[in-house]
Amino acid sequence: MIRHKRLALAWTLVVALLLAHQAYLWLGQRIAPDTDILALLPVQQRDPVLQQSFTHMVEASQQRVVVLVGADDWDSAKRAADAYGAVLAHTPSLLQATTLNEQTQADWLAPFRGHSLLLMSAAQERQLQDKPAQFWADSALSALYQPFSGPKLGAWRDDPFGLFAGWVQERAQETPVRPRDGHLFVEGEGKQYVLLPLTLKVPAFSIDAQREVVPLLAQAAEAARKAVPQADVIATGVVLHAAAAGEQAGDEVSTIGIGSLIGIVLLTWFSFRSIKPIALILLSIAIGCAGALSVCWLLFGRVHLLTLVFGASLIGVAQDYGIYFLCNRLNADARLDSVALLKRLLPGLTLTLLAAVIGYAGLALTPFPGLQQMAVFSALGLVFAWLTVVSWFPAVVHGGSLKSGALSQRYGALLSRWPRLTLNKATIGFCTAFVVLAAIGCARLGANDDIRLLQNPPAHLIRDQVRLSKLLDAPTPVQFFLVRGASAEVVLQREELLKQRLDQLIAQHKLSGYQAMSNWVPSLQTQDKRRALVEQKLLKDGGPLSELAAKTGEDAGWVEATRAHLLQNAAPLTVDAFLQTPASEPWRHLWLGPVDGVTASIVALRGLRNADLPLMAQTAGGLQGVQWVDKVGEISSVLGHYRETMAWVVTAAYVLVFVLLFARYRGRTWRVLAPTAAASIATLALLSWSGQDLQLFHVLALMLLLGVGVDYGIFMQEHPSRLDTTPWLTVGLSAANTILSFGLLALSHTPALRAFGLTMLVGIALVWVIVPCFQKGSAEHEAQH
Amino acid sequence: MKRFFLGFCIAVTAIAAQAAAPVARIQSMLAKPSMLCGRFDQTKQLAGMKKPLLSNGRFCVVAGKGVLWRTLQPFPDTLRLTRDEIVHYQGDRVANRLDAKTEPTVRMINSVLFSLLSGDLSQLDALFETEGTADANGWHVVLKARKPELAKAIGAITLEGKAYVRNITIDEASGDRTAIVFSDMKTGDAAMLPEEAALF
Repeated sequence: MIRHKRLALAWTLVVALLLAHQAYLWLGQRIAPDTDILALLPVQQRDPVLQQSFTHMVEASQQRVVVLVGADDWDSAKRAADAYGAVLAHTPSLLQATTLNEQTQADWLAPFRGHSLLLMSAAQERQLQDKPAQFWADSALSALYQPFSGPKLGAWRDDPFGLFAGWVQERAQETPVRPRDGHLFVEGEGKQYVLLPLTLKVPAFSIDAQREVVPLLAQAAEAARKAVPQADVIATGVVLHAAAAGEQAGDEVSTIGIGSLIGIVLLTWFSFRSIKPIALILLSIAIGCAGALSVCWLLFGRVHLLTLVFGASLIGVAQDYGIYFLCNRLNADARLDSVALLKRLLPGLTLTLLAAVIGYAGLALTPFPGLQQMAVFSALGLVFAWLTVVSWFPAVVHGGSLKSGALSQRYGALLSRWPRLTLNKATIGFCTAFVVLAAIGCARLGANDDIRLLQNPPAHLIRDQVRLSKLLDAPTPVQFFLVRGASAEVVLQREELLKQRLDQLIAQHKLSGYQAMSNWVPSLQTQDKRRALVEQKLLKDGGPLSELAAKTGEDAGWVEATRAHLLQNAAPLTVDAFLQTPASEPWRHLWLGPVDGVTASIVALRGLRNADLPLMAQTAGGLQGVQWVDKVGEISSVLGHYRETMAWVVTAAYVLVFVLLFARYRGRTWRVLAPTAAASIATLALLSWSGQDLQLFHVLALMLLLGVGVDYGIFMQEHPSRLDTTPWLTVGLSAANTILSFGLLALSHTPALRAFGLTMLVGIALVWVIVPCFQKGSAEHEAQH
Repeated sequence: MKRFFLGFCIAVTAIAAQAAAPVARIQSMLAKPSMLCGRFDQTKQLAGMKKPLLSNGRFCVVAGKGVLWRTLQPFPDTLRLTRDEIVHYQGDRVANRLDAKTEPTVRMINSVLFSLLSGDLSQLDALFETEGTADANGWHVVLKARKPELAKAIGAITLEGKAYVRNITIDEASGDRTAIVFSDMKTGDAAMLPEEAALF
């Protein structure tokens, strides 16, 4: 008694500390949960260069918001875009428009002039090798006589053969976007669009930022439509996806959490006819959740929103301990002291907690940081709720203070009529049918590890994304070639080898183009080769240059002067020099530079179709230092890998729990575990029969099902007599509540959570229904019948 | 041709401002036929070259369709600019083809050139400041790019004419100078030769 009072006091102290920390978190820190879906994915540790290439690409796109404002004619498009931009101009601290710098635009070619002799399109380089001297003399003459020629790239004699101009045109065609009237212009779908590249000045994953940015963009789109009613506004950006995901999860936290609470309150009322048990159970859940949040925050420094969504379902499990104690108190002799009662219940209660924690420990074994957090959050929540029950409940719930309600009485009476597993024909027949159906179902079960399981953006965001990448012919940031080498020169040479293969794919219309640093800065080897080609094929005496002189009446002196003039512009161009120029700004993300002792770059692809992904992996084959990176495929394969691993972890957990339980139940141990195992197998078979594919999240739910289902087995085995309806009442209350909470999780719009919820819903319902069948009738009990 | 395209590609980036004085009067003098064909004589003086380059040929400006620019002397060379593409023939061989699908500025280049050859100053006003005079005998206009960096690159364009454009002179900042004189201008469907009609 005294010892228990001390425990209750100690726990009061802990809870007081907890309250203080919570007050600090919510009022002082104003914590906001994480919504970055990538935080849920495993950190790639094995290849730092690969990892950095991906972060590099993601970071380059994360803070960008790209908007297209279009109309049937250019003037309307401009008017709509100006109205759109005017709204954003009020808040430059939030979203900054990338202004078209006229100076940069006019001068962007200037840094290349000193190297212009070495810059030419790939087609021209081939023509230099193949075409006769006459071809070059003719085309230079043709350019010479054309009106309006060469106002922009300098005088005719700076580029008589049009090589540099060809290179500039090839570079311009890397994007369909063109400057026009001080705007960026792109055409498509029969409309004229103004491109507005915006930079987000606040982190894309901060909830505050999302709350401000999303309405602002909507307001701007509204303004554009007010200016031009038929205006077409397409907006994309990581921030929009993050906001949609956050909003969805936020809604679900409240639906699931509140729904679950209402269910528990109603059920407890009908069972106990009293407010006190409800208050006590809510108290244990609240302390559980608060404790989990506090410790998680101390451990991780952040909490992911999905952790909270998952944690909302914790309510369904954390109640078990309180319900178990209260049901026993209700049915026990009123004269029995509550502390003594607890002592009697403690072995069962401890086992249920251990079994659940083992279940969650399995989740913590996965390499997904998000799942680890969920596991720690849930296990801690259970420990806190459990300790609250053990420390406080006996002190405040005394014998005779509870009355059973009508619902619990009628429900309790059901137990005596419940079928029981005995060795008879019906049982054997039923079991055989079950084994056959389950075996067929499980054998037919397919698998699905698509990354889209993790996130389910609203249809309009996906549609906008697809339209925008079509209109802009933009490369995907998650699939690209990673090129490595000992030096910048080696990397550029390897890129050029890769590009030869890609050119063939472009010719076969498998790709529309590629972006690579070597498009802008050819390797020194190529630059040398080109210089030699130009000198030999174009500039040497008696070559096209001499013929031009003859045709235009110029003398040998002119040939000499022109050759010298051209050779002045043949200084080798280096990556470092290029990166210093404003022209390199849109391409800097392609160059990773030195990472871990190697130099690396990215070759990004435009117009890539999903069906051709395997072809890209083949393309990299046999090329030294070239690797095909497909983050989407990689995540899917990680999901698949962990689906398989987790299946083994679940099996191992069954063995572990069996060993743990064997110490107490000996020959009856199988009766504790069998309902959960049978329900799990039945759930899998049902999934298969209903045409669903197995995902990682089904397997994770089976793990949790083990933790919860074993509770019911333990409760039933702790009270083997069928006259004692206490465990049956406990299981009923707990299962009904769990189904309420997880049933609501099955309504989630995130496929992963839906799969998780559905598995729990079906699994728990099955365990509930079959758990009494495995109750062993004791001899004394049979005699009384 | 590629150089040609780039010049205009950047030229079209200038922004609009208010119109200059003689434009309305010049507009009223222009005949604006649906089809105009004639002869051109071009004199080009390039930096670093002693002798001017002389060439001549025929041109057609067809409203709603585009421009055909046929150099005949010293060698045949044809440029055809339509709504969707720019095709360059060296003799009969297609030397280059620029499609509006792959090069979105094709349409803008074509409309600017069309305006230039038909003297439609109201269309050019977005790009150029116009200074000039107009009297009963004709008009004279100097076009200066509105953006200083554009003016630096393009220099000045001078147009002269009455019912049609008669002279175009382009003074480039690089020192290259092109003067084009138009003559023998005919309008109506008969103005276009059969071989020209075949190209359009």
